[in-house]
Parts: sequence; C-alpha cells; structure tokens
Amino acid sequence: MTPARIAILIAFAGVLVAVAAAARPAPAGPEERVERIVAELRCPVCQGLSVADSPSASAREMRDLVVQRVAEGRTDEAIREEFRRSYGDWVFLAPPTQGAGTLMWLLPIALVAAGAGLAWGRARSRAEAAEHDPAPADVQALRARVAREEAADL
Amino acid sequence: MTTPNVAASRRFTLTGRTANLLVIAVLVGLIVVLALGFRRDPRDIRTAVVGKEAPAFRLERLEGTGTVALEELRGKVVVVNFFASWCVPCREEHPALVRAWERYRTSDVVLVGILFQDSVESGRDFVRRLGGTWPTVVDDRGRTALGFGVFGPPETFFIGRDGVIEGRHIGPIDEDTLVRGIETLRRKPS
Repeated sequence: MTPARIAILIAFAGVLVAVAAAARPAPAGPEERVERIVAELRCPVCQGLSVADSPSASAREMRDLVVQRVAEGRTDEAIREEFRRSYGDWVFLAPPTQGAGTLMWLLPIALVAAGAGLAWGRARSRAEAAEHDPAPADVQALRARVAREEAADL
Repeated sequence: MTTPNVAASRRFTLTGRTANLLVIAVLVGLIVVLALGFRRDPRDIRTAVVGKEAPAFRLERLEGTGTVALEELRGKVVVVNFFASWCVPCREEHPALVRAWERYRTSDVVLVGILFQDSVESGRDFVRRLGGTWPTVVDDRGRTALGFGVFGPPETFFIGRDGVIEGRHIGPIDEDTLVRGIETLRRKPS
C-alpha cells in the first residue's frame, strides 16, 4: 500500500471517529435535557443567538417553558414540536433533518466523499502507472533493437 | 510493453473528466439551492401559525376581575392584539384599534388585547391614558405569546369563527388593514 493510500485511510478513520464521538448519546438528566434543547432554539428577538445564550425576556420565557415541559415529563421531540408549531423550523438554529433541510446535512458529506474518491482514483492511477513502467534492462534492449533495425534499413 | 502506460494515462484522463463533471454538478447544485432560497419569502418563517387553530388561552383581565377565554369566543371573529406600554409602535397603532373597536363593538367581532412582557400597573396606565374599552388581559409568563409565535409587540392576529388563525400582522396596524382583515373573516361562511 502506497503512503498516499495510507494517508487517505487514516484521514477517513479520523473523520469516522470524530462523527461517532459527536453522535454519541448525551446524558439524559433534566438539566442536561433543558440545556440541550435551549441550545437548539433560536431566540426570537436576537440576531442568531440561541435561547441558551440570550439574556432577553423572550429567551427567558422560552427557557422557563422548556423547564416546565421537561418537569411535566414531555419528550424532547414533543417540546421541540411545540416550538415548531408556533415558530416553524426557523426556531431551530440547525437546519431540520427532514425535507429540504436534509440536503444541508448530506451535501458536505457527499462533497467530502466525492473528494476522497477523486484523490483515491488519482493515487491509484499514479501507482499503477509507476508499477507498469518498463524495466531499465527492457528499455536498454528496446533501444538496442531499434538501433539494429535502423542500421539494417540504412 | 507500452500498453499498460497507455491504459493508465487513459484512466487518468477519465478521472480528470470526472473531476470536471463533479465540479459542474456541485456548481449546478449550489445554483439550484440559492435559486430556491432567494425565491422564498423570508417573512414566511413568521407565518407558522397561520392556517392552524389558535392556541387556547384563559387569561386574567387587566382591569377588574375575571378571565377571558378564547374558547368562549368561538363563533365570533376575534382579533388578538399583543401590546406593551413600553412599545412605541403600540402607542402609534392604538388610535386605529380604538376606531375599529368603536365600529365593531356591537357586532360579532371581538378585539382582545394581550399585555406582553409588561407590568399590570404599566398596562393599566397605558389603557387609561390612551383609551379603549375592549377586553384586555395579561399574558401568563409569556405562554400565550409563545403559543402564537410572537416575535415582539405589536402583533395582531385575525381568528375566524372556527378558531383558526387566518391572518397575522407584524408591527403597527392601521385602520384599513384592521377593517379589511375583519371583513374578510366576517364574509367567510362558518
């Protein structure tokens, strides 16, 4: 295996480890759940701030509602749905994982995969080309043969 | 003996063409995404509740005692107005609300004011100074405003006789817009 292939494999393994680490389930305590949900919600009166980061009265009310809903035993998805019903998908800082929002998530992955495929293909072509280069002895023999044939023609 | 080299260079050429096609495909994809994004009205994000049943509420009156419940107004055209005493545009639109109320107060139209993120004293003072005798209530820790998806006052919602939100106006509303919204709902068969 060529060094280029090894480098690509290591890069892939690194990406997979990072994705797996990011996707691991978070702790499910009430406080952690509240923090996770308010970090996802967009503050309606701020510029690109989450409810978790905003000190506004609206953000405080949204946080209080999340705290109440968690205490009532509602699921995370039910709480998110309540906000989605009022504000639409806009209320979430990250694009939705359904419908057109899926494209936002898949496009970077597809681009990375395509780039990796391209790099792999090029590395393979170069390696094959190097493997099939004629041996110096063969080149020498060919040159001698050409010289002989040219001399014979003369 | 040269055959493998030729094959390798051909494969390399194909890879280059694939790369070009890939770049073109990505560019076309980006153009499509941008075209769809620009075509979309950015205000659409604010209309999530339009066409849906209005969130139920039962809120304490700002003046006097008792409550106002949306459910008890079923069968009437309801205009819900979120306001606050600290909100300058609310002061600007208030005369239009007063005139609309005078016009419809004896009809099948109800105007409900909901005090938004404000103290009861300030809200009472606001109403006493600027006038208006329509039912005014105090929001319960912002729950009603969150249910309606309010961004900030003033916001006005037009609710049909069936309890469905048919229209929404963000910012100060004028009398023409109020009358037009109300009449559209009054003409709508129940």
